[in-house]
Amino acid sequence: MNVDFEQINKSFISSFTRKKVHAVIDLNLSVKSGEIFGIVGPNGAGKSTLLKMVLGFIKYDSGSISIAGKSPMEPETRINMGYLPENPYYYDHLSAEDLMKFSATTSGMNKKNIQPSIDHLLKIMNLEHARKRHLRTYSKGMTQRAGICFALVHDPDLIIFDEPMSGLDPLGRKLVVDLVLDLKEKGKTIIFCSHILNDIERLCDRIAIMDKGRLKKMLNREQFFSEQDKNIKKGTSWLEKIFIDTVENRVEQ
Amino acid sequence: MNRILALSWLTFKEGIRDRALMGICIIGLVMLFATIIFTGVFGYDLGKVLVDLNLSTIAFAGLLLTFFVNINLMAKDIDKRTIYCVLSKPLSRTEYIIGKYLGLILLVFIALFILLMVSSGIIWFVKSFYAQIYFKNFSWACFLQACFYEILMFFVLNAVVIFFSSISTSSFLVLLFTIATYITGQTIEEVMQFFKKEAMAEQLPQINQWIIDIAQYIFPNFSAFDIKTLASHGKFLPMEHTMALIGYSAIYTILLLFFASLIFNKREIT
Repeated sequence: MNVDFEQINKSFISSFTRKKVHAVIDLNLSVKSGEIFGIVGPNGAGKSTLLKMVLGFIKYDSGSISIAGKSPMEPETRINMGYLPENPYYYDHLSAEDLMKFSATTSGMNKKNIQPSIDHLLKIMNLEHARKRHLRTYSKGMTQRAGICFALVHDPDLIIFDEPMSGLDPLGRKLVVDLVLDLKEKGKTIIFCSHILNDIERLCDRIAIMDKGRLKKMLNREQFFSEQDKNIKKGTSWLEKIFIDTVENRVEQ
Repeated sequence: MNRILALSWLTFKEGIRDRALMGICIIGLVMLFATIIFTGVFGYDLGKVLVDLNLSTIAFAGLLLTFFVNINLMAKDIDKRTIYCVLSKPLSRTEYIIGKYLGLILLVFIALFILLMVSSGIIWFVKSFYAQIYFKNFSWACFLQACFYEILMFFVLNAVVIFFSSISTSSFLVLLFTIATYITGQTIEEVMQFFKKEAMAEQLPQINQWIIDIAQYIFPNFSAFDIKTLASHGKFLPMEHTMALIGYSAIYTILLLFFASLIFNKREIT
């Protein structure tokens, strides 16, 4: 499932000062089908805004976004999409199973496939024991894993993860890493937004570094390996170095 | 349609498991059982007192439910960003508004229906306890008609909740606007009648008369749904009146949901 961004601009009006704040500026980007695409950037870089535009939560001021040839503003576009928000918060009095049933039903999943899919995902995400428990009794890591189940239950082709590792312990992170790699093998397109550069480095085929609403740098897998070889010897993470260089450049400018 | 029903079921489930709802139902039940004692205190017109107290209790419970459970159910979606999980599914904003509304009214209907059942049992019990002379004006049909009108009123009030939730991001403001609308709706008819009295109308500047006329059309006339006094006197309203009120409720609700959907479609979920 291709996602294409063409000359995207988005600005907000600040509620107090009534000043125009540019969240995304002239962004051109193309996420190819079957790849894991990472987006990194400091706070306020416009990463979450970009994801919210893909999901149709907010409208872009100009340009166009195409998801497999469809507009993100059409609800049908989201049939084949799964989304895990940053710091997900779900209904307190519902269980993970309730939530997943809702996700599967609204996505038009065949009734007979719903329960097996729920069972399978809860098992993978190690939530089987808590399937009937109300979500308000879940720990942060469990809520995060429930959110992943919610996003994936209908087997979407495009998956958007906004900080999927936040709040997860090392075991939880390993679960998610394995899951993402498994999804990649199945040919799913994944847009992955994170502050944890290690995860991005490990998982993504291409990485976009965003800063102040602009796309600053685009890196691909080949560059990773050549840079990685050089930097491992120095004992530094190559992505961390590039990221800091890019952001520091901005500060100097 | 499946998507709307799934969302309304989700909303209903979230509401029915809320402890606040349990609390409201317990308060309602205690108040209903208390009517057995209160009715005995009066030496005459027991039927009238009984119907009045029971209908008031059901209305009170419905108001608490709408103001404290349903408003919270709507506002939490925006406040706590649970709306992300709903709108990341292939639901349009209009489907979201309709699904939420159906969930809220299902919750109100079930809760008030349970209270109505208990209330009917209490009336039956008290009636069998005292001499029938005290209940000469009592009519089950009138009592049930008044209950039906109350439930209808809550269908409109919950559309008001949805409308204000589409405008405001603050649950407190939604609560404030809804209470203000409810009070205005309950009193607008009286205010209108007062100002339209001949002597008053002559003194009133034209602009004020226009404001009253416009307000009359903008705010829902909730007093039309309140037939407690008539029911307690055993006065059954003709079917034409009931049909007209159903029509009024349906039109008003559809308009509110339509405007809510228009506003919500323009809104950015940040």
